This record gives sequence, structure tokens and C-alpha cells, in this order.
Amino acid sequence: MRHIISVLLQNEAGALTRVASLFSTRGYNIDSLSVAPTEDPAFSRLTLVTIGSDAVIDQINKQLLKLIDVVSMADMTQGDHIERELLLLKLKVPEAAWDRVNDTVRREGARVLDDSRAAYTVELTSTGGRIDAFVEKMSNLAAITSVVRSGPMALARGAPAAAPVPA
Amino acid sequence: MSGAEMIVQVLADEGVDTIFGYSGGAILPTYDAVFRYNDEHRDAAGREPLPIIVPANEQGAGFMAAGYARASGRVGVVLVTSGPGATNTVTPVRDCMADSTPIVVLCGQVATNMIGTDAFQEAPVSAIMGSVAKHVFLVTDPYKLESTIRTAFEIARTGRPGPVVVDLPKDIQNWIGEFQGTGLLPVPGYRQRNEAVQQNLLTAARCKAFFALLGESKRPLIYAGGGVVNANASAVLRRFADRYGIPVTTTLMGIGAADTTQPLSLRMLGMHGAAFANYAVEDCDFLIAVGARFDDRVAAIPDKFAPRAKRVAHFDVDPAEIGKVKKADWHHVGVMIRDFDALLAWGERHARVPDFQEWHAELAQLKKTYANNYDRASELIQPNYVIEEMNRHTGGRAIIATGVGQHQMWAAQYCDFREPRLWLTSGSMGTMGFGLPAAIGAQFANPDRLVIDVDGDASLRMNLGELETVTTYDLPIKVLVLNNFGDGMVKQWQKLFYKGRLSASDKSLRRKDFVKAAQADGFRYAERLEKKSDVPRVVREFIGFKGPAFLEVIIDPDAGVYPMIGPGMAYDQMITGDFIPSRSKPTDGSTPSGSSMF
Repeated sequence: MRHIISVLLQNEAGALTRVASLFSTRGYNIDSLSVAPTEDPAFSRLTLVTIGSDAVIDQINKQLLKLIDVVSMADMTQGDHIERELLLLKLKVPEAAWDRVNDTVRREGARVLDDSRAAYTVELTSTGGRIDAFVEKMSNLAAITSVVRSGPMALARGAPAAAPVPA
Repeated sequence: MSGAEMIVQVLADEGVDTIFGYSGGAILPTYDAVFRYNDEHRDAAGREPLPIIVPANEQGAGFMAAGYARASGRVGVVLVTSGPGATNTVTPVRDCMADSTPIVVLCGQVATNMIGTDAFQEAPVSAIMGSVAKHVFLVTDPYKLESTIRTAFEIARTGRPGPVVVDLPKDIQNWIGEFQGTGLLPVPGYRQRNEAVQQNLLTAARCKAFFALLGESKRPLIYAGGGVVNANASAVLRRFADRYGIPVTTTLMGIGAADTTQPLSLRMLGMHGAAFANYAVEDCDFLIAVGARFDDRVAAIPDKFAPRAKRVAHFDVDPAEIGKVKKADWHHVGVMIRDFDALLAWGERHARVPDFQEWHAELAQLKKTYANNYDRASELIQPNYVIEEMNRHTGGRAIIATGVGQHQMWAAQYCDFREPRLWLTSGSMGTMGFGLPAAIGAQFANPDRLVIDVDGDASLRMNLGELETVTTYDLPIKVLVLNNFGDGMVKQWQKLFYKGRLSASDKSLRRKDFVKAAQADGFRYAERLEKKSDVPRVVREFIGFKGPAFLEVIIDPDAGVYPMIGPGMAYDQMITGDFIPSRSKPTDGSTPSGSSMF
């Protein structure tokens, strides 16, 4: 099953490497990984998507908690959560498809960042599934030159999860 | 104070009394600071408070620190330079991680402005060690230097112990600042999780549930691992086992958790465990795992491990070990001494002492019928015989270090251990060359104990340079080499599973004269034992020699380690060899009959 795991990490030299290395040395998959500092520069938030059986996910969670830099973690998929991913898409749009491309962009809630025909660029923030569908639609209308995706980020609904704990 | 002086002061504050290390360019400031500290703080007898023990190779320093830590329970300290100095300690660091041994490795690094420039003796230590150590720090902010060193000790010794590496750029060592004498780094997640384990008391309800399982059982068995030794919980575990009459078998790492001379002690289980221990695992109906992790040398097929155990209980300090391999019906993550005290206290008030006499009688019969045994009639010297003779002189109270392979298993099978922390062996990593440096470290931790390195010819070669370290420091270590002219365990597997093709494992054409090598390194006692009838006398002289002693024994090159449960096999497929009876024939037709091949 697919899991989105959110990890609060101390901003230390090598911390990200240790998380990534845990996955490779123990043979776990990472589908996507995104990381950026939090409001407190001492901590980073890391969101990773992994696929595994319940036993594997249980070990991933426990092994992550053995890393010294990991402050806390939460398996977002265990509760109600909001999931979003950012897509940046660049296309070459043929004259004939111009109107249909713009219609689709508007209908799907994407935003145009560059409206030149040779480097038509849009952004879309949505769930992974809707981004897949959007890319598919656009590929039928125009020639895709680049797809850049952030990988999903997630936040639990309601009370904050995986908040920093006091030293 | 310079950064280097701060490092040394923190070591002194942490109670360090021995440093194992090798100097070099990037760690020179700290070596100089140790020299000056020792010069200024000699005791009345002129002894240095922080002696540096210098190995032949940094790997030796790492295993000396590991031997020191295992034998004493204190944190071992390694001080090495950057680049090759640091990378030579990767093997002991990984070994310490795999066997949960607390050491702190301080290594020099090129100056911060040179990091990443492929400078002389630069290696990406934080990246390399990050994958193998419990934790690694790269100090880039000199204001955090002293708190980093302190925190390294804290992390090494708390929770499930392990190795911590601190990478120390040369400019950080040379920095001048004010010493605070206190302070730790914030590691909020780690501390919170440790605290949670500390707070996780074994409640009355949980004690009751445990005793309910014990009450249902007719054949309970404690399976004790290295976690018992690390938690210093052997004494309380023995009290518990004695009180309720529960037999104890130990893993390779758990040896010493139970007194091997006692009737309800079943010695080691697993791939080369005692046949009676493995049969007890087959027969038990309630398996109580304590500080053990069902690894593949014990439970190659988890579903078939302890197949008649209706219930499994699991105590550990590491939440990740619970349910990792085998599901437990009852488990507890906590402080082992306190947990067994709680069980004992609850039991005194509420539990009856069950009657396991029938089980005890069965076990006594198993121990008698399936006792460890070997070819006693052979004209060739059997390794088991040598160890039995040695064991007559140690009383189960000597520290025994080993390399890895057949000799390691023979020592595990035939030595007695009355106490924990006497058995030093590379269990999980299986690092050949562990024995000699580990024995050196253990002797520094216990100057008055008899320390014996039971080694193989191939394992000894791996860190042969440390023979000279033994005599340099005049350590009364006994080095016993069971020479079968090759990688005996590899040969055993090749005979069993590769139709006897001894690919690169036979060393009978090697010309080394071990006795001359030992003499060249300053051993005044260095003997070769080749005649069976000389064994009792020579072993007695060797063990009794005051000072460093070296004994090479030419053993039967075809002696095998039995019993053996082949890799990936279940306990009912155990091969017991020609000299231990078997309760059943191997059931898998594809299993080669090892005995006919030897």
C-alpha cells in the first residue's frame, strides 16, 4: 500500500542523507521525497511517499524513529489528511490547439506562467491522481517538453501532527 | 582553551581512562593536547590519566575499544586521524553497531575550508559513517564542540547502545574559546523516545497477563540475547529464571547471561547451538525472548522457529525489534532490570510457582543424551579437546575473545561462563580479526582478569600486527591459535554445499611460522602443540604463564563444527554429526549428509 510519511528532521549536516540511506540500505522504496525548512530554521519537514506491506511500513516507521536527527514522524495515510503536489509543465503548443489548451488549463484550475507558444508553461497544484490526468490531457493537445513534479506533500486535518517537541 | 584541549577535558569529565588510537596530520592538535593533559595530571605513581594505546592499524584501535566496552560496560574511545585513519575504523564501527556496543570514535578531518576539495587525507566520513554508525557528527561550529563530544557519549551509552563518530576538522581543534564545562546538543526526538522507554513501566495488569501465559505453560523457555548483557540484567534474569524454574538458552551474544554450569542453563541455541538447546526450542510451548532479535542464525525460518510454542513473549529496549521477525503475543519495551524486578515483585504477591518438574526431567535427559561431543578417539588433536582442557583452568571466569569461524563456535560450545561480559565475539558482523584487539581492550578494562584470545590461523592473520601491541604494553594475554591451515568454516560449507571444492580457503601451502612470528613480536612464551598426549601439560603451562603467552595448536584440519542447522533450514533438519546422537534424521532429502564428507 502507498503511504505518505511526514518526518520532522533536525537541520543537521548529513541528516537528509541518513534518511535516504536508511531506505536504500534496508531495501525500502521511495517514490518521492520533498524537503524544506520549517518556520523554525532548526528543523526541516520531509515528506516521502513509499509503498510496502503493513509489516514493511511498520519497520520503516520504527527504523526512522531510531535516527537521532528525527524529531518526530507521522504516517499521514493512517488518518484524514490533505495531500497536494505541485506540477510545472512546459509545452510546445500548435496553432490549432491553442484555444483548447487554454480552455483545459482554465477548467482544471492550472495557472499560466509563460504563454509563449514555444515554451508554454503552466503550474497546477493538486492531488497526484489529478495531476496525472491533467498531464495526460495536455499531452493529447500539445507536445510536452518538460514535466517537473514536487512529489506529494501532506498535512493532517485538524490538530497539528508531528510538531516540534521541546529539548 | 583550544578546541583540542576542550575535547580532552570532556573525555576526562566523562570518566575515560584509556584511549585507543593512532595519530596523524589532522588529529595532531588533539594528540598534543592529550600529551599535555597527561603530563600535567600524573598521579602519585607517575601514571597518566588518559594513556593512548597505539595499535598497528586503526581497525585494531576500534576493536580494542569494542573489547574494552564489552568487557566493562563503559564507552570505549577511539582517536584517529582523517582519511585512512577514519576509514580503517569503518569495520569496527559497523561491528559495534551490529552488536550494540558503545564506542565513541573521534577522528580528525581536514580544515572546514578544505572539506570537499579532495584535500590530502580527506574522506567523506560523515557520509560513510552515517550508514553504519548509530550517529555521526561533523563539527563545523566550534561553539558546539564540547557539547557535541558530550552528546556523543550520551548517544553511545543510552537506549540501545552503539557507536558514535565525531568528525573533527583541524581548524575546530585549533580554535580558541571559552570552555563551558557543561551543556549538551539538543536532540529532542532521541531524548523524548528514550524517556518514553524509561517511563514505560511494567504495570500490574501487564505482569498479570505475563504470568497468565506462564501459568498456561508446561514447557517455558527463556531465549536470552545480547540485550540482557547490555542492560546489565543478567543477575535479575537469573533470579527470575531460578524463582520460576524456567530454563535459559542464550544466543551467541547472550552467552554469560546465564551461568553455563547450572542445570537449567541450556547453553547456546541456533545454527551451531547445542543439540539439547535446539531440541528444547523445538519442544517449548512458551518462548520468552529477552533482549534477543530472532536473527537468521537463530531463526532462519521464523514460522518454523519454536513450532510448538503456543505463545511468544518478547522483552527489548528497541521498539523496532518487536514483531520485526516473529510476532509476539506479549511484549514489553522498557528498562530490563526494572521490568524483571517488577515481574518478581508482582509474582511474589500474586502468582503461584508453577510445577515444571516434568519439563526439567525432560531437559536433564536431553542434556545428557545430546551433550556436545566430538571424536575423542582420534589421534589428531581435536579443537574441542583443547578448549575443554583450557576450560578446566579458567573456572568459567576468564575473559574469552575470539575471531570468527569454527574456533569461535567451538569456544562458544565448550567454554563455561559463570558471568556476563566474559565472552567477546563478533556476533552479527562476524568480523575475522576481532579477537586479538578485543582481548587487548578487555585487558585494559580488567587488568587483573585472565584474558584469552581463542583464535583461528586465518582470523589471527587479519590483525596479526596487534601481537606486537600485546608485548609492547606487557599484557598477560594468552593467545591460543587453533591452526587448521585455512578458513575452516568456509571449508566446512564448501564440503557441505559446494561438493568439496575448496575455492581459496585452503592455506596448507602457506609458510608462516606462527611461533617465530610471536617470538619476533616479543612473546617469551611461544609454543607449538602437535601431540595429543601433550595437550593437558602444555595447555596448563600456557594458561599459567605469567605474561604474554602464545600457543599454536595444530588441530585436525577436517574437524567440523557440530551440531549444524544449515542456512535457511529449520531446527528439525539439524545435523548432529558422528559424535552427537540425533533425535531425528534430516527430513529434507536435499540436505547433504555432512558427516560422510568429513
